[in-house]
Amino acid sequence: MRTIFSMFAKSPFKPLVSHIDMVQECVNQIIPLFEFLQARNYQEVEEISKHIEKTEHKADKIKDNIRSHLPQSIFLPVDKRDFMRLLSAQDDIADAVEDLAVLLRIKNLEIPETLNEPLMDLAYHVVGVANEACRMIRELEDLLEASFGGDEAEKVEKMAQNLGTAEWEADKKQFLLAQQLFSLDDQLNAADLLLMNEVVKKLGGVADESEKIGKTLRMFLAR
Amino acid sequence: MDLSTFLLIFAIAACIYMACNIGANDVANAMGTSVGSGALTFKQAILIAAVAEFAGAFLVGGHVSNTIRKGMLDPTIFADIPFHLVYGMIAALVASAIWLHWASALGWPVSTTHSIIGAVIGFGMIAGGVDAINWSKVGEVVMSWVVSPVMGGVFAFFIFRFITRQILNQHNPLLHAKKLLPFIVLAVFVILANSMFYKGLKHLHLDLSFVTAMAYAMVIGAVGFVISKVLVRRVEDVPTEDIHQQLVSTENIFKYLQPITAFYIAFAHGSNDVANAVGPLAAVVSILENGTVQMKVEMPAWILAMGGGCIVFGLLIWGRRVMMTIGHKITEITPSRGFSAEVGAATVVLICSKMGLPISTTHTLVGSVIGVGMARGLPTLNLNIIYKIFISWISTVPFTAILSAVLFKVMLLFLG
Repeated sequence: MRTIFSMFAKSPFKPLVSHIDMVQECVNQIIPLFEFLQARNYQEVEEISKHIEKTEHKADKIKDNIRSHLPQSIFLPVDKRDFMRLLSAQDDIADAVEDLAVLLRIKNLEIPETLNEPLMDLAYHVVGVANEACRMIRELEDLLEASFGGDEAEKVEKMAQNLGTAEWEADKKQFLLAQQLFSLDDQLNAADLLLMNEVVKKLGGVADESEKIGKTLRMFLAR
Repeated sequence: MDLSTFLLIFAIAACIYMACNIGANDVANAMGTSVGSGALTFKQAILIAAVAEFAGAFLVGGHVSNTIRKGMLDPTIFADIPFHLVYGMIAALVASAIWLHWASALGWPVSTTHSIIGAVIGFGMIAGGVDAINWSKVGEVVMSWVVSPVMGGVFAFFIFRFITRQILNQHNPLLHAKKLLPFIVLAVFVILANSMFYKGLKHLHLDLSFVTAMAYAMVIGAVGFVISKVLVRRVEDVPTEDIHQQLVSTENIFKYLQPITAFYIAFAHGSNDVANAVGPLAAVVSILENGTVQMKVEMPAWILAMGGGCIVFGLLIWGRRVMMTIGHKITEITPSRGFSAEVGAATVVLICSKMGLPISTTHTLVGSVIGVGMARGLPTLNLNIIYKIFISWISTVPFTAILSAVLFKVMLLFLG
């Protein structure tokens, strides 16, 4: 009687999408974070930073839940290791955003005028990359339906390619920003320079982690 | 009341009890995916299952019933004391029904087929020792228990692969689904009709040759083809670029197939499992009327009809409760997957019914679902079930065998 139905365990793919929603929530805070930073509103920077930490924690709980519901006896239509890698990649994005938020709380940074525009430009671009990665995860439902093939798989493949290109663009912008940062000479003291550099690296890092989503999701299509 | 009448009534009661248990036990197999995916309401599913189970039992149930009635035991052992065979068959029915009732209450995936076979072997060995059992037949049957889930898996795997390649992964899957649907309907109708017409209509005094039966089946299939072609035109087209909507609409097309596959699997179930209740009863009736188990005579129609009717009764009584406990846990199995699993399983079960092999519909369906999972059709599959089924194999046959043997001894004691 209950035989057939005990075979359908809870699908881990739905929680995976719930997880990416939390990640998306973190990513959505990046622009406001930098806008308030540039406006020197350190109170708000603190608030948003705390919000990011809380959201990242919620995401971790979902992640742990997924991991605890994948015993040996569960069979997935994809390699379980690839699935775990995807979950980790999603987690890494949230972690990167959290690290970014933590960096901005170390000191009340005063960003030099000349860096404002390129910094926001990089931020917008990085957020774009991260959003594209989240959109890819939301395709999972259709990918499952199409058995990871056909037009849907092609659509996801193209998304992965676009993601790679966008990340490369982000890398270039990050490099230009770094060049501008290090040519500031005496405008910035040593501590601020170090911290700014870390912030730029971490911001670029969010895009790097996002690209991994594309690479890992591609492995599902490989078979 | 003389002993014969008492035994007859006892046997009929035991058969009814067993048949109701069969209906209750396996109702979810027939209706589960159709109701869970929203393709049918509970009432519609019950109605289809009721008609199909009865049809399957009455038209195709005779072959397996014969195996249980006379294929398992060596009749010469009981030639001197035919009444012992009556006691034994009654004991077997009661023992199996008790096991089914109890194990299902505990939620174990037990097989009605394994229960009765174990019980028959049980009393047989007590009555006539090891030689009383037709071990080659038993061996054949046990082999089929292993082969049927595997074949169910293989069939379902290839059916789903076919659906994936020819429909889901094509450009504009909806168009392909609309094109192929009539052919799918044709195939299922032909298989069903053929199984009904070929050797199935003996009780209606119509014995058709294979060719004639096939011809009629083709006609039925053609009718289904035309009707579905007309109905499919009503489905709205979706632009090729909107792959999401395409996939949703394609699944909806498979939803329309659910009533047919629900009928198919309920039919197959009836054809194979009715024997578990009526096989023993038919043996009892045969002895009480003639003094021996008639080897040449076919199953009496009234017994098949009664068995089919009781299965339906069990279905009706238990169906609602089962559906409430299962609810919508089965949303993971979309119509195209449900179709593949059900058609794969039903085909294997029907073939075995035609061959007179008593197999477990439940386990075959499990094999089919796993087959679909292997074809990457399901988001998750809990393979724990294989372990549970293995345990149920090991526990069912010994338990019913022992219980049946005990009941048999008790009857010998009280009735002589």
